[in-house]
Amino acid sequence: MRLEKCWFCSSTIYPGHGIQFVRNDAKIFRFCRSKCHKNFKMKRNPRKVKWTKAFRAAHGKDMTKDTTFEFEKKRNRPERYDRNVTENTLMAIKKIAKIRTAREAKHIENRLKPNKQKKLNDDMKELDQNIHMVQAPGAQKIKVDVSEKKSVQNEAMEE
Amino acid sequence: MATRLQFENNCEVGVFSKLTNAYCLVAIGGSENFYSAFESELADVIPIVKTSIGGTRIIGRLCAGNKNGLLVPHTTTDQELQHLRNSLPDQVVVQRIDERLSALGNCIACNDYVALAHTDLDKETEEIIADVLGVEVFRQTIAGNILVGSYCALSNKGGMVHPHTSVEDLEELSTLLQVPLVAGTVNRGSEVIAAGMTVNDWTSFCGSDTTATELSVIDSIFKLREAQPSSIVDEMRKSLIDTYV
Repeated sequence: MRLEKCWFCSSTIYPGHGIQFVRNDAKIFRFCRSKCHKNFKMKRNPRKVKWTKAFRAAHGKDMTKDTTFEFEKKRNRPERYDRNVTENTLMAIKKIAKIRTAREAKHIENRLKPNKQKKLNDDMKELDQNIHMVQAPGAQKIKVDVSEKKSVQNEAMEE
Repeated sequence: MATRLQFENNCEVGVFSKLTNAYCLVAIGGSENFYSAFESELADVIPIVKTSIGGTRIIGRLCAGNKNGLLVPHTTTDQELQHLRNSLPDQVVVQRIDERLSALGNCIACNDYVALAHTDLDKETEEIIADVLGVEVFRQTIAGNILVGSYCALSNKGGMVHPHTSVEDLEELSTLLQVPLVAGTVNRGSEVIAAGMTVNDWTSFCGSDTTATELSVIDSIFKLREAQPSSIVDEMRKSLIDTYV
């Protein structure tokens, strides 16, 4: 028994739920409910449909990079069963889930901080106006004054 | 010496079992007769594991392996994978492959050093085969058949291929594999060699339809007569006596 993820909305599919579609190149698409299946049949891109996990990840709404995501993976090379390891893993699962929800909440909290846009604008302004402060003086281009030379030549011509 | 047996009145024993030098897999839920035929030959030498793969009993066609590792298809469930890992010895690596073709036994023919592979296998799969089984992989066909795993039975001592293999092909394959090959049949003329029999370095199991002639060919090409314990003792005794003299 494996709890699969819905191809469209990334929710967990429990045994006996949903429907699965196998394309003729043997790729399997699993759907948690008819809503997701219908959206797939309409050829909608899950990244562009607001209520899916794919949309939220693509638009920075949810936390995507975190070490807690490393644990939940399909593994193709199994480990030999060891009672102690299994016991520890089962204990760890609860702890890790707790840590992850806490981090996700923190992520959303940070994202929703009120003056975020203002801060960004201020930073951009600072970068625009005071860029010379971070540039090395030697790295600036030395301007050759061509106009003066020209004028000298002109004078000579006139004489 | 090759053993003749049946799986539920079916002679395709290579389909329902997988024999290597380090372990033997047999289909679960078969009659106890089939299982005990293996046990009487191998019980104290290598572990015999009853298993299913992806809920089916055609394990011999679905998985590929040798003494170094075992490859199972993506249809294998997590429980079956864990069961295999727990029952096989530690030095055998068990790996599930995300490959489009799921009948790995039909697509891969291998002994402990070289493997023939289906021409349409993924590049990554080829790398995994080389890595897990510790073999050199060649993409080949046997007598125009791309299912190399079905039409060829290999051990480290020899190999048997599809009866329609031409002499040139036979020579080419035998230089690739570095073992003597012969074209032959099992089960009274069946062309699917690997389905009708399963073999390792010292024993082999054939379907009960296999004729005496076919058996003798199998015995001679896989050198099963010499692999008997008595012959090994004889050889040792000879060398001992040599040293005495």
